[in-house]
Amino acid sequence: MLPNNEVRVPPPRAAAQSAVPRDITADFTEASSKLRTGQLVKDETFTLFEAVGALEIMDSKMDSGYIAPGENQAQALEDNYDVRRDLTPKQVVGLMDQLLCHEMAWHMGHPLSQTLFTSIYIDKLLWPVPRTMEDARFDRVPSESPLVSHVLRAYCLALIKSCDFVHARVASEYFYEEEDFVTQLYNRSLLSAFDSSHFYRLLDQAVDWVEVEEGIDQKVRDAIRSRLLLRRDFLASVDQDLEILDTRSTDSFMSCLSHLKALAETVSLGTTVPEAFSLKLQRKLASTVPPRPIVHIKHEDAFAHMKRLCQDAIDLQQILDYRGPSNFKTAVWTLLSRKPQPSVYIRSLLQALIVSDLTILGAVSVKQFLYDDLAELVLPSSILLRANTDEVEVPSDPRFQIAQQMEGFVKRFAQPFVDTVRCACLNRCRIRRTICHTVIDWDNLQMEAEELDLQLQNLSAEPALQFPGGEATFSYPLSSWAYHQKLIQLRLILQMGFELSIYAPEELPGVYWYLSHICSTHLAHLDRIRTFIVAARKRDLVSSSSRAENPAQTSPAFHKSFLYLERLTTHIIAIDAFAIALHALYVLLARHNVLPSASSPEAYSSDRLRYELRMKPFMPISLPELVPYEEYQREATLDGDADTTILDRASKAITEARKAWEATLANGAFSEDVSSPTREPSIAIEEDWRRDIKDTMRACIGASIAIETVKKALLGDSPPSEKKPVNLQVVIPEIGSKTQWHDWWIVPQISENKTANPPTS
Amino acid sequence: MDNEKAIEYLNGLLGRTLRIHATDGRMFVGLFKCTDAERNIILANSFEYRLPTTSAIQEAAAKETESWDKTSETKSATVKVNMTSRLIGLIVIPGHHITKIELE
Repeated sequence: MLPNNEVRVPPPRAAAQSAVPRDITADFTEASSKLRTGQLVKDETFTLFEAVGALEIMDSKMDSGYIAPGENQAQALEDNYDVRRDLTPKQVVGLMDQLLCHEMAWHMGHPLSQTLFTSIYIDKLLWPVPRTMEDARFDRVPSESPLVSHVLRAYCLALIKSCDFVHARVASEYFYEEEDFVTQLYNRSLLSAFDSSHFYRLLDQAVDWVEVEEGIDQKVRDAIRSRLLLRRDFLASVDQDLEILDTRSTDSFMSCLSHLKALAETVSLGTTVPEAFSLKLQRKLASTVPPRPIVHIKHEDAFAHMKRLCQDAIDLQQILDYRGPSNFKTAVWTLLSRKPQPSVYIRSLLQALIVSDLTILGAVSVKQFLYDDLAELVLPSSILLRANTDEVEVPSDPRFQIAQQMEGFVKRFAQPFVDTVRCACLNRCRIRRTICHTVIDWDNLQMEAEELDLQLQNLSAEPALQFPGGEATFSYPLSSWAYHQKLIQLRLILQMGFELSIYAPEELPGVYWYLSHICSTHLAHLDRIRTFIVAARKRDLVSSSSRAENPAQTSPAFHKSFLYLERLTTHIIAIDAFAIALHALYVLLARHNVLPSASSPEAYSSDRLRYELRMKPFMPISLPELVPYEEYQREATLDGDADTTILDRASKAITEARKAWEATLANGAFSEDVSSPTREPSIAIEEDWRRDIKDTMRACIGASIAIETVKKALLGDSPPSEKKPVNLQVVIPEIGSKTQWHDWWIVPQISENKTANPPTS
Repeated sequence: MDNEKAIEYLNGLLGRTLRIHATDGRMFVGLFKCTDAERNIILANSFEYRLPTTSAIQEAAAKETESWDKTSETKSATVKVNMTSRLIGLIVIPGHHITKIELE
């Protein structure tokens, strides 16, 4: 992931600065007329592909500076709109609300040229570039109406300044230009040079003026006042957005919410002033794109967007208390999986909070974060993690050497590990895409970790463990941990594929099979880890009793690991069982030709080609190996199993899944650390997490009903035969539809086909 | 000038900065990238220049007057106003819209 910088705009050149230009019209015209039709003279590096992207001058669709014949030059370039004109208080309300709509449209990903920069008021404040705050006014001679020169001006200035903060926040983090957000400023500055104190002062003055102004209707006056206050609080919110780490205060976002409520109630008081916005302003912007229409979004949508933004920002405060890596990861992932996904500003802010200056949440070093995760999963109370705190400086001491090796490990692994958390801040499509890339890195990281494990097991004199009937083997903690990370990512690739509607219906049996395959691999891996921790625990008890130490010192660490492994296991069993059930169900539907198919029978695509395509992210991975197509084909179609066997498998699996999901829900979102003092619980995020699990359980129930329906059709009074196909209608619900309980669990809607089976009289 | 000479001449201009005046009074300044028999011209990194509007001239004049007021001097009134310019990037100017080509 690389930071996205703003499109670089070369400095404008003064036209008359260089030597006197030479008129070459005649020579040029003569030379070009000698060219043959179709013959080009072009720069070697310049391709026709690039040429296609050139804007055609004098073409009204392409050339934003084009003025149609007959259009008055002055009028076309400068709107006749008089920014000094008197406005009624209701018009001011209307203008403020329209500007907020444009601001939110920009937040949603539309360019400024189609939103805020279509406002003539905003344009006048930003161009010509103001040198002082005084300069930033609508006109050289201020309007005589204080409502315009005080109130509206303060509102507009504060709005621009908050855009400046939002722009800076987003542009400094990972985001996708034009996909998430458009940072292009068209060679304008969003008043970055001015300190925010000026803006607060102007807003306060405006509020003071409005409060005592007798000539305005009370209701309208309150409406204007609450809009000014919203601007003030929103500016304060985005101005000090990182300070939440120190203050833990969400007050300004909270008051934004209450003002927003007032806004929504008074929006009808406003009178629109459509002539204060003009597409013509695009003619003045430095822009390499054709002219584009003004974006209009509804007031409700704008308010809803801002409300969500504020609410997400408030709830974000709940992740700030560090309570161990697994809780932290759960909280971040849950918050960012909200629907609709938190806005790009929130996602950028979260990135900045998650890690800056090698510190997590401004409190924990990335090294500590990595160590905590290792301790939780594979190395409770281990010499490997303690070695560097012993401050041994004798190079021959194994502890010194262990500390050195671990230092190298941290250098190599801390960043990729933090990125696995931060990755959730990207948009949903990009999360999956990024994981497809990083999983390959993790494959290599696992191999490097294995090298380190070999050296460390010598240094720490780890005793081998004898498996019954097997060879002696070692724990390989670091590579085990890396493998665990990789398995999570492989699973996410599949699950996010469901969420992003990547798979065709005919692929569902296979993908759910693969999901259960990854889960069972993961479960076996967790078992292996557990075995070694049990052995370490036994050793620890023996050695501490021989040293007459109190084993209570180390036991919480072990206890924590066992608890964590238990939670992980329960969760993965739940996923595994549900995947097995859906796999079995889809196999039956496919077998009886009632599963809808996206590709036509004559299509070039085949199961094998589709498998190759889908498994592309898995192909370069050395462990777990990609299942060869033949084996996959056999397993995924349950080749050789009778319908009854498969039905039985589906029923059993779905029952197990329901139990396991209930257990997962009972375990809760976060593992409670008994040793740490009780902190404020993450109520809203925990609620989101519970809703997610409950939705999964609803999908489970839906699946068991579907399985029953199929069972009835297959084993009922009139079992299908060669002549009579199975009498079922199958609909695969779309992602986001009401019948789709959970994005990751596509449960088919199965009903008896009434029309195909006329009742026999 | 035969075809070969013409190509040689035009090749020599590639990468140089051209000023192209269009029928609507605008001027485009950018790096010469490509041309053809129709005299269509592609410029890269180009800027659009437009003569200032009457109101901009009036504004500048007013400012000038203000500064005179302060210094209480009177000067003959020639107001200097820069052409307004903006970056528009890669453009193609159709040959029939070109009124004048200058080489910087």
